[in-house]
Amino acid sequence: MKKQLIELRVNGRPRELAVEPSKLLLETLRQDLQLTGSKRGCDDSSCGACTVLIDGVPMLSCTLLAASCEGQEITTVEGVSEHGALAAIQKAYGDWGGAQCGFCTPGFMMTVKHLLATTANPSEAEIREALSSNLCRCTGYSQMYQAIKAAIEAEQKGMDSLSQQVAK
Amino acid sequence: MWFAGVYVYLRPTTLEEALEALYQSRGELLAGGTDFYPSLGERLPAKPIVDITRVRELKGITRKPDLFRIGGGATWTELIKAPLPRCFDALKAAAREIGSVQIQNRGTVAGNLCNASPAADSVPALLALDAAVELASRSTVRRVALQDFILGNRKTARQADEILTAILVPRAVDDALSTFLKLGARRYLVISIAIVAVVLDIESGKIRDARVAVGSCSVRAQRLTDLEQRLRGASLSDIAELAAEQHLKPLSPIDDVRASASYRFDSALTLVRRALAQCAAKC
Ligand SMILES: Cc1cc2nc3c(=O)[nH]c(=O)nc-3n(C[C@H](O)[C@H](O)[C@H](O)COP(=O)(O)OP(=O)(O)OC[C@H]3O[C@@H](n4cnc5c(N)ncnc54)[C@H](O)[C@@H]3O)c2cc1C
Ligand code: FES
Ligand code: FES
Repeated sequence: MKKQLIELRVNGRPRELAVEPSKLLLETLRQDLQLTGSKRGCDDSSCGACTVLIDGVPMLSCTLLAASCEGQEITTVEGVSEHGALAAIQKAYGDWGGAQCGFCTPGFMMTVKHLLATTANPSEAEIREALSSNLCRCTGYSQMYQAIKAAIEAEQKGMDSLSQQVAK
Repeated sequence: MWFAGVYVYLRPTTLEEALEALYQSRGELLAGGTDFYPSLGERLPAKPIVDITRVRELKGITRKPDLFRIGGGATWTELIKAPLPRCFDALKAAAREIGSVQIQNRGTVAGNLCNASPAADSVPALLALDAAVELASRSTVRRVALQDFILGNRKTARQADEILTAILVPRAVDDALSTFLKLGARRYLVISIAIVAVVLDIESGKIRDARVAVGSCSVRAQRLTDLEQRLRGASLSDIAELAAEQHLKPLSPIDDVRASASYRFDSALTLVRRALAQCAAKC
């Protein structure tokens, strides 16, 4: 299939690319832009490891054409770390064992980022519902709930207290 | 864009352009892609793709004096967030359990209908609302009752050059109570074994109108008209008892990897009774 020039905005930067119109966003991110954080974990749009934000909304990049995202803002896990420091959630995952093999983690990060951006103080049920979109075969999820709750508290109190809390 | 004389990917922004592109390219429509891609597997799309996600006229959910119009591009998330009367509670509950949040953000109600899976979760709730679909081609616009639109497993009355532009729900029973129940191996990311939607229009403790629809237990979802008739005029107490095996005649469940036919039948009856009881309890 003939390649076509498209312009994507990824993590705040405009990127001009030549891709086949049938190319999936996930493959475009990984192969053409070397943004390999987003993963392919399944063949039937069911695992969430490829989750990115399109105009702030979590979507599966394995189920989207790159060309269909023209003019929209794409955020990948590489765009989550703020000001060079790890965002609260990334730090909390490390501190609480929210990741083991780590394959599912980038997808979870995007889901959680959206949850925290849209729900100031999510309840346990809201956290569980948001995370229903992502599968993890290692952790058993409990550590993630703890990490997310810790991150929310940390965001509320500022990053410093997170370290103290973990030390306790 | 062209390849060997064939359009390969088109992304129209108006309905007129979309209908023209579909007609000229003889391609396939792509909405949320949540049925489209999983069914492709490793293959590349065989036909040109007409991406309708940017078509303005297909967006949104609107209230008219006589009906609600769910745009042919409306996603599950849009439906969940839309202010809709009580009779839509069952459809909203179905929407909340479609796939997962990511699937709901992208997948459309129209795509669910056009894909016409026997296990499509929205169909029983929409059947119970007496919904119709609006189909447009370059030259015509027609309205087809949902009953007559879905013909069988992955078969619809849609012509190759038609776009489903809206789902129309008459405003006959805005304030009716409604309930949705589905049985699957787990809560999210699961294909249903049995699906039940119930709409009850109640006046002073008695049922004025009842609609009961069951999905995933026949090639296309069915209304249980005998049961509906039995329910009309009945009082709300012990309503669940009124549902009996004989009312499930329209169903023809199959054995497959998810459940046996007899288990499906049994679950359908249990779910119908439970849905009726839960719906009546909301009163
Ligand atoms: C992980 C996963 C879980 C799922 N879980 C559920 C579930 O719980 N319940 C359920 O019912 N479904 C489920 N689905 C199926 C799917 O998400 C839904 O059927 C969805 O509503 C399809 O909408 P779409 O916009 O993605 O359709 P697409 O995949 O874009 O299209 C589906 C078909 O409809 C046609 N089409 C789409 N829009 C139109 C239109 N406006 N006019 C004419 N033709 C059109 C397309 O050409 C295509 O043939 C799941 C899918 C996945 C991947
Ligand atoms: S790779 Fe599994 S959902 Fe996208
Ligand atoms: S940490 Fe291994 S899959 Fe989640």
